Amino acid sequence: MKKRVLKELLFSLLFVAAAVVLIGAASNALKPARHDYGAVWRDFLAEEPDSMDYLYLGSSYAYCDVSPAAIEESSGLSGYCMAGPEQTMGISYWYLRECLRTQSPRALLIEGTALHFKEFQDYTQVNLAYMPMGLNRVAAAFTVAEPGLRTGILFDLYFYHDRWREVSLTEVRDGLLPAQPSGLRGFTPVDGVAENMDKAPFVRDPQTEEVYENNLSWLRRIVDLCAEKGVTPVVIFHPTYSQLPDEWHSRMKQDVEAMDGALFFDLSRSAEDIGLDPMTDYFDAGHLNEGGAVQFSHWLGTFMRENIPSLAE
Amino acid sequence: MNFLTPAYFLFFPAAAALYFLLPARLKNPWLLLCSWFFYLCAGPEYFVFLLFAIGVTYFAGLRLDKKPSRLPLVLAAGSLFLLLFIFKYLGFALSIVSRVLGALGLAIESPALSLILPAGISFYLFQSVGYVIDVYRGKRPAERSFVKYALFVSFFPSLLSGPIGRSDQLLPQFDAPRRFSWTGAKSGFIRFLWGAFQKLVVADRLGVVTAAVFAAPQDYSTAQLWAATIGFSLQIYCDFAAYSDMASGCAEIMGFSLIQNFRTPYFSRSIQEFWRRWHISLSSWFRDYLYIPLGGSRRGTARKYVNVLIVFGVSGLWHGAALSFIVWGLLNGAYQVIGGVTAPARKRARAALHLRDDGKLCILWQIAFTFLLATLAWVFFKAGSLSAALDVLSGMALPRAGTGLALFSGRRELAAALGGLLLVLARDLWSLKADPYRSLAQGNRALRWAVCLGLLMLTLICGIYGTGYDAQDFIYFNF
Repeated sequence: MKKRVLKELLFSLLFVAAAVVLIGAASNALKPARHDYGAVWRDFLAEEPDSMDYLYLGSSYAYCDVSPAAIEESSGLSGYCMAGPEQTMGISYWYLRECLRTQSPRALLIEGTALHFKEFQDYTQVNLAYMPMGLNRVAAAFTVAEPGLRTGILFDLYFYHDRWREVSLTEVRDGLLPAQPSGLRGFTPVDGVAENMDKAPFVRDPQTEEVYENNLSWLRRIVDLCAEKGVTPVVIFHPTYSQLPDEWHSRMKQDVEAMDGALFFDLSRSAEDIGLDPMTDYFDAGHLNEGGAVQFSHWLGTFMRENIPSLAE
Repeated sequence: MNFLTPAYFLFFPAAAALYFLLPARLKNPWLLLCSWFFYLCAGPEYFVFLLFAIGVTYFAGLRLDKKPSRLPLVLAAGSLFLLLFIFKYLGFALSIVSRVLGALGLAIESPALSLILPAGISFYLFQSVGYVIDVYRGKRPAERSFVKYALFVSFFPSLLSGPIGRSDQLLPQFDAPRRFSWTGAKSGFIRFLWGAFQKLVVADRLGVVTAAVFAAPQDYSTAQLWAATIGFSLQIYCDFAAYSDMASGCAEIMGFSLIQNFRTPYFSRSIQEFWRRWHISLSSWFRDYLYIPLGGSRRGTARKYVNVLIVFGVSGLWHGAALSFIVWGLLNGAYQVIGGVTAPARKRARAALHLRDDGKLCILWQIAFTFLLATLAWVFFKAGSLSAALDVLSGMALPRAGTGLALFSGRRELAAALGGLLLVLARDLWSLKADPYRSLAQGNRALRWAVCLGLLMLTLICGIYGTGYDAQDFIYFNF
């Protein structure tokens, strides 16, 4: 009797395992490939473990502005931009946890505009549904995602099963085969030149005190995690013509520097010093175009070497 | 909480596992607790109606057991049907009165009522009234245990959309704790999986087409209207049979057996037979508690036909408070009356054509004709109003070209619908010979795994669900 129960239990478990494997494969086959515009997890995980000096997190202001290849050219530092569209501080925290499972960077740079993002921005689905399935994704689903999106974040096919109507065999094959490293390393080069830049800079609306404090609390968790893992946390604002009011920059500098070991670099008003031309190097007021991003990244590599002690050597 | 929600996928395994793990005396209270929780999830405001139905019929049963008399029966059944009337039919009745008075030149505005319709009320009221009548008739003693009786009425797998349980079939199953059986669990799981496939892949896919066509029949060609109408026949079967399969599957996993609600109804050779194989728990309820008390076929042919029309008129009304439902019911009754009246002539015609009654050609013709009749009647069911039904039927009768709209959004969609229907046909053919779920549960493991994993993946990939899909949308939830 006991033997039969054990046998049935064992086969039940095997059945569940087979179902999980098939569901995982179907999810990979049906989820649209993602190699740019952030949340490029498959490409990231294809990188050699423990091969990065730094990690870059943030929103489109990070993945449009930062070219890890250009940084490496100017400084020899290897890294990856694991940003995501409108990536909130909460999502950045779970991204960092997941990244640190395979990489041991010496510094973490976070583009800081997310301190003034809403609790939920518009791309939670993309940001979280592309994370590898595991505890971090589950925790993210319950802490930083809209409740209505949780089912899909926990179960890929909920969002993407409909693609069976249009998916091609090539896409299925690419989704099932292991990913290859991408030379872009999370960078998304965008073409085009911003208009109306003669009227720049533009003022960006800050969030309420409550929202800011919530974002700051996630940043504290990031800084604590960095301290635990021996990573230098850096909050950085890129040269931009979509600027938060001055008083908020002072406030953020003060708040970040109060966190143990955290560095704060505000380059938001430094475009000209870096050599960026608002009439040619910007895609829009907030994002650099490809040329601007490469120029900025060259400059940034040197800056990182000189200003982040853990990256100095 | 419906069967196809993440909440249910957490709720059911926990409910079933604890049912088997708890000591015998706690099993029924636990199931009752689960059932009430399940119902509360449908809407806490409905719970009082369920409690009322349980309380009234429980005490009426005890009273009837002590001294059989009509009064407790009339009071119990009357109060429940009054409740049903108020919440389901009052608005409809007032609109009819208003129309009649309007026709007589006494125009009055019927008040716009916005009463809630408690989830599953048509099902559990019929189940509890059936119990009281059984006790009154001495068919079974009143149930002394309140917990057992409350569980009989509230048993969660069948609470919201049936099958409508019968006191002699379901109540005794709560007398002794059910024992776990691997075969039962496997069979129940496969039955549930099949239900999910039938619902998400077939019924809801057809539902997208039929909803679009019935919403604007003037935009579609005659052939498309026929396709959509046939599609609705298949959709409603797959939708409701899916719910019954999922309900029975869950019950079976826990060791319970619910009434079989469908026996391949579209293989019926007459409308009379169709109603013996379609929504069996409701049809048999009407037979036992309405048709037979009306005199059934014992008072002559003419009275029998009147009784049939009454039963089917009421059945139509049970399905919904609208004239189109009554017409649908009466049409099904009329089919049977006409079938009865023309039976001798049809028999003579078959003889003249040298067609054997049980010959393949004759059977196929009868099945096809019965399907056609049922399909035409479903137009009234689906259309929502008499004028809308007549729009569809006139479009089907008078050839016309549509505006070029396609029924399916692509070839893959069409293939999924047809492939799904082929599987439904295969299952139905299999079920004529054996119980497919039990056969698979007891049969070869490799085949079982292949079927289960195949169904699971087809449902998860080709099913109509996800963002924007309303999981509450089982057709019979509306009743």
